[in-house]
Amino acid sequence: MKKFLNLLILTFLSLATFAQGESGTNDFFKSNLKIYVVVAVLTIILGCIFAFLFSIERRLKKLEEK
Amino acid sequence: MNWIYSKWWKWLSVILLIYVTAGSFFIPLGPGITKVSPVAMYTDSVYTFEITAYHSHFTDPKAGKVQLWFKNRNNYYSPLSFKVIDNDKAEAQFAVNVLQQDSFRPGSIDVVINDDLDGTFALRDAITLVKTQAADSTVSDSAKVGVALLTTTEPEVKSNHNNLTCFPYREILYETIRNTFFHVPMWFAMTMLVFFSCIFSIRYLMGANSAAASSYDIVAEQSVVVAMLFGVCGYLTGLIWSKYTWYIGVSWGDVIRKLLLEDIKMAAALVAMFFYFAYLIIRGAIADKKKRASISAIYNIFAFVIFILCVFVLPRLTDSMHPGNGGNPAFSKYDLDSTLRAFFYPAVIGWILLGFWILAVLIRLQLIQQKQEQ
Repeated sequence: MKKFLNLLILTFLSLATFAQGESGTNDFFKSNLKIYVVVAVLTIILGCIFAFLFSIERRLKKLEEK
Repeated sequence: MNWIYSKWWKWLSVILLIYVTAGSFFIPLGPGITKVSPVAMYTDSVYTFEITAYHSHFTDPKAGKVQLWFKNRNNYYSPLSFKVIDNDKAEAQFAVNVLQQDSFRPGSIDVVINDDLDGTFALRDAITLVKTQAADSTVSDSAKVGVALLTTTEPEVKSNHNNLTCFPYREILYETIRNTFFHVPMWFAMTMLVFFSCIFSIRYLMGANSAAASSYDIVAEQSVVVAMLFGVCGYLTGLIWSKYTWYIGVSWGDVIRKLLLEDIKMAAALVAMFFYFAYLIIRGAIADKKKRASISAIYNIFAFVIFILCVFVLPRLTDSMHPGNGGNPAFSKYDLDSTLRAFFYPAVIGWILLGFWILAVLIRLQLIQQKQEQ
């Protein structure tokens, strides 16, 4: 769980640093004809699914320990 | 229930999703005009407009003759001169005589480009025509010699459509058109899972005393869990997509308020999702296994009816920004071209199968748990 939280925090940290590349946060997502919105959408989906998979794994671990 | 153990459809989802993700980033956007400068012009002087296009092929041998027009209402005007500089850069000269300024209504001019490879593409309202005041224009006739009077032309083009493998270039959307393969299938997957859950609830009620009944209950519950995962994904991705398309320059707080209160589809989807969250809470609240299974199965069937009403019926009654609502069809030829379709349908199938894959894992987990408890 701790590992996963770290992963999540690092993911969002990287987003924040990206945002400083251009002038202002909004401009970054609007740059290059808004292609980074697609990147953000994919990141969200993968993040949610991976988070869910981690939760399944946690449940499985509990079951294994029994 | 052997489907949860078979592998082929899981591989199919892997193949489809790799195809869709790779394709969505490798296929370029179609040709379009991103910038025309200057953005405004006065009457009676000649302007040189610098046109910046995107993914166009002006200097390609297959492009043939590159043509450009200035368009106002349904009238096309040829430029005074036109020069292709680069694959995606061109220059055109244009001027409007003050005597003709009133025929330009509204006072903005579109720029239209055609060549054999890229087809026809345009930037609407590219140039604003600043009109001279009536008092100035009546100064004297000799002042009006500025530029020659314009005559409209009939554009002659080989084809309006491009022969490129590309996604359509749409103003405002631009590259985010690729989200069609990620945001939209989330809702398809959610709908399929919720439908699946409803079927298994009905199956449970029809054979509540049979040996397999408890596994039907497990399938119904876990389908809702996975459906909520996709619902949350759909919501979050919709949030960020709308922030940079529908609601440009609107703060995050206002975006959320607008989505929940002004976009009926979002509000209705949220209501539908709350019904399913309630389903999961109800299940947690009932300790007796048989009671829990039968009560939640009945609730689940009602929840599915409400889901259909909220997601498919309600949004069609009023206006929404979503395509497919308020009278605009979602899958008409205007919204999905053949290149989009080649990725959209595989994406829908791929994401649905991925959802069922996660569901299969969850069901297997629950079955083991059930066995242990017995």
